[in-house]
Amino acid sequence: MAATIPASASLSVGRSTSNPASSSSCPCPATALPRTFFLGFARFPAAVAKPSLGVASLPSRRCLRAHSQQQEQQQRLAVVPREQRWMFEESEINGPDIWNKTWYPKAADHISTEKTWYVVDATDKILGRLASTIAIHIRGKNLATYTPSVDMGAYVIVVNAEKVAVSGKKRTQKLYRRHSGRPGGMKVETFDQLQQRIPERIIEHAVRGMLPKGRLGRTLFTHLKVYKGPDHPHQAQMAIPLPIHDKRIQSSM
Amino acid sequence: MNKDKIFKLAKGFRGRAKNCIRIARERVEKALQYSYRDRRNKKRDMRSLWIERINAGARLHGVNYGNFMHGLMKENIQLNRKVLSELSMHEPYSFKALVDISSNAFPGNKRPKKDSSSIVA
Repeated sequence: MAATIPASASLSVGRSTSNPASSSSCPCPATALPRTFFLGFARFPAAVAKPSLGVASLPSRRCLRAHSQQQEQQQRLAVVPREQRWMFEESEINGPDIWNKTWYPKAADHISTEKTWYVVDATDKILGRLASTIAIHIRGKNLATYTPSVDMGAYVIVVNAEKVAVSGKKRTQKLYRRHSGRPGGMKVETFDQLQQRIPERIIEHAVRGMLPKGRLGRTLFTHLKVYKGPDHPHQAQMAIPLPIHDKRIQSSM
Repeated sequence: MNKDKIFKLAKGFRGRAKNCIRIARERVEKALQYSYRDRRNKKRDMRSLWIERINAGARLHGVNYGNFMHGLMKENIQLNRKVLSELSMHEPYSFKALVDISSNAFPGNKRPKKDSSSIVA
């Protein structure tokens, strides 16, 4: 694919500049190097496996037919042309191709003990807007490395949960329902009554509704810690304040 | 297809579907149908994953996905979403440069000032 970046943006960040003039790799030194347009070099075995690689295919196929037997046994490695070797580290030159495949996190990329911890004071914050921001951070949707199938998010601590605010008449009119499973077993409570009884459950209910439902969602929900007063037992995690970009989250009442 | 081929394709299936031919045949047929459908779905899913990642990466710089892509289209930058998502993850400075180009071409939403940060407990 042709990349036409204007001159002002072409930073010299090594391998990521899509320079149409950079040469691709063809392991036959006799033939002229064909040009590819994507990230400067074509994969050596890929030219054999997928002949429809556009510009690079025809000259590559001719010179690769001689080495076809070797390629089948070869691992799918990226080949870095000799004049670009200085840009790459050792592991990148001999390792797998990371430039043409979408990145997927490995186990080392989402270790629980190295995740960020955020803390949020719920005093006079609108319930739904707060829950939305919390859910985004727990799920990891604010990170560029977001992956839906993997838990890449952070931990969130909520304090002063009993002081969360709602607008309008919701304080007396919003109903929380639960059912025991038996006939006639529906229990209904208003927001006010639940706040007297178990204030943490209000925020938990709101955030749980905004997290995905399923095995991963249940694990994500365990990353939310809600507490009634201004203290929390996670001092050792050194939580940082949760960055909130919503202007209307702070209730004026 | 004869039984050996079916059982070869039924490796890793749950319960009797990997051992008993009557059940395995049904499950293998379904599995092949799913793989046909999902070879087409995979392209859609990957593109939506790239878009989600670009969205997150651009929002770190105060611009949402829609305005970012609009700015890029205006500047005729033909980088595809796969490349943009990889840049947003691994080449943050290049991605910031792209965001700057895009916001110059199409101002869109301005980043709100950070006056409503949360209070530390």
